[in-house]
Amino acid sequence: MKDKVKIIIVDDESLARQISKNYLSRYDNVEIAAECSNGFDAIKKINELKPDIILLDIQMPKLTGFEMLELIENPPIIIFTTAYDHFAIKAFEVSAVDYLLKPFSEERFEHALNKAIKLLDDKFSPDNLIKNVIAEHDKKIETLERIVIKDGGKINIIPANEIRWLEAQDDYVMIHSAQGKFLKQKTMKYFEDHLEETQFVRIHRSHIINLSYLQHLEQQETDSYKIILKNGHELPVSKSGLARLKATL
Amino acid sequence: MVGHPLINSPKNFLLYLLFWVLIVILYLNLIVLDREVELSKAILDIIVFNVLLLGLGIGFWFSAKYLSIENHKIFRIISNHLLEGAILISLWLLIGYFIVSNLVTDKDAYTNFFFATLKFRAALGIFTYFLLTSFYYIIIYYTGFQERRIKETELKNLVTEAELRSLKFQINPHFIFNSLNSMSALTEIDPKKAKQMIIKLAEFLRYTLATNDKQMVSLNEELKNIKLYLDIEKIRFEEKFEYVDEIDEICGKAQIPSMILQPLFENAIKHAVYETLDKVVLNLTCTKQDSFLKIVLQNNFESESHKKGAGVGINNIKERLRLIYQQDNLLEVKKENNLFRVTLYIPVDEK
Repeated sequence: MKDKVKIIIVDDESLARQISKNYLSRYDNVEIAAECSNGFDAIKKINELKPDIILLDIQMPKLTGFEMLELIENPPIIIFTTAYDHFAIKAFEVSAVDYLLKPFSEERFEHALNKAIKLLDDKFSPDNLIKNVIAEHDKKIETLERIVIKDGGKINIIPANEIRWLEAQDDYVMIHSAQGKFLKQKTMKYFEDHLEETQFVRIHRSHIINLSYLQHLEQQETDSYKIILKNGHELPVSKSGLARLKATL
Repeated sequence: MVGHPLINSPKNFLLYLLFWVLIVILYLNLIVLDREVELSKAILDIIVFNVLLLGLGIGFWFSAKYLSIENHKIFRIISNHLLEGAILISLWLLIGYFIVSNLVTDKDAYTNFFFATLKFRAALGIFTYFLLTSFYYIIIYYTGFQERRIKETELKNLVTEAELRSLKFQINPHFIFNSLNSMSALTEIDPKKAKQMIIKLAEFLRYTLATNDKQMVSLNEELKNIKLYLDIEKIRFEEKFEYVDEIDEICGKAQIPSMILQPLFENAIKHAVYETLDKVVLNLTCTKQDSFLKIVLQNNFESESHKKGAGVGINNIKERLRLIYQQDNLLEVKKENNLFRVTLYIPVDEK
């Protein structure tokens, strides 16, 4: 006999979890491994219990469903649930991930679950699918208010205004913040596009600075400038970077 | 376009006749008195010339109307009227003379009298022409001015209304869909509670949809609706928040704009209750201060939730209050430590 399908329900509202639980109770081949009411708890449980499927709500306090996804390694198959989120729904449509709009019927739920179980039987790896959703969702959000980073077992939430400067490092970006240094797997272009443009300027191919952390701009030779940050750190400024800096200031 | 001020209004026509009494007096003084002329001739002269000019005077209106100040150059208006005045008054003199001289027995004596007084007659005619024409222009200008003012006021009201409408509280789709989801779950888990929630949601929606942007309601009514809203949210969030209020008795009947407090509560739920894992206490107080109702909503929040300052909802209330009461600074926001406080000052009608 096959093992039961392990499911984790993540939703901050207990009634919303309850209805999914009720629907799931009618299946013999699934078991609810855990119920989580917030993102932190969910990440812990997911790493611990390695579920096959997650029922994931998007709007949750502290850590949204999308932010959670960025922090899970080898994510399982995910069925998204949301009551009303324009951006999220757009992202789901484009990346062809199944999602449930609350309130959903038992039939609709069954359809999504069967689809997920079939993918599971086919040994489908949802990695790329999830990367696509995140990428699509990234396109939709306008300004980034915070960045979530997993650092060992700890999850850090860095408010955008606490970022001092960003530095490109191969496929990663090093975030220098008031809380310390963190590596995040995103591109410089992503940060350039999504950080508040009146506050953050890309001064160089590999550097973005927070203007409130700028001490002064120094001319070295003709046409060559460098930036001194409040902590004394020096950064080079490229020609186009100087133009962007002047336009913003 | 403006109608004829004399023909369309008997009152004005009477005033016009009164004005003619003055003209007749002038006519007597300038032309008839102290001259050697028979009484019968004098009376005939007075009647014919004055009735003629009175009739012509009504006609002056049309040239004033069609040579409007807005659409013609001032030079053109003046030169046109000089020419027109000269022609009309000459015509008046010619016709008047023709009629009277043919009615009197002694034509030569009348001709002498007429030509001796011709310059006075011409002067009086021109004077009357310009006096009446100026009067007509003033009427046209004044009526146009009034109309413009009415239109401007109407336009301003329309703009204010449109602004108010756009600022009006709108039912938050998150709230609706999440409530529907909770109710859907409750129909399986606790049908009785589901029914209660549906009824509350229906009452809340009815109030929200029925009140318009300018409507005033009593504070008690508004609070009743807020309690419905909080009851519904309570089913969703359970023990995550608590509501406490302290309302001075005299405040309950005071009139406030409908749905003005609602967005404050929604804001608190969205930013504090939703983003905080601990329990949030919503504290509402209302006191009367001078001629204002002072309403304070305070709630704790997690200082590390990084949402930006006052949201759209709160700014909308501020703007609504400004438009309704024509006063700034009726809303204050204070954020310190872990407390978020919004204070509203609602002007009270003292009767």
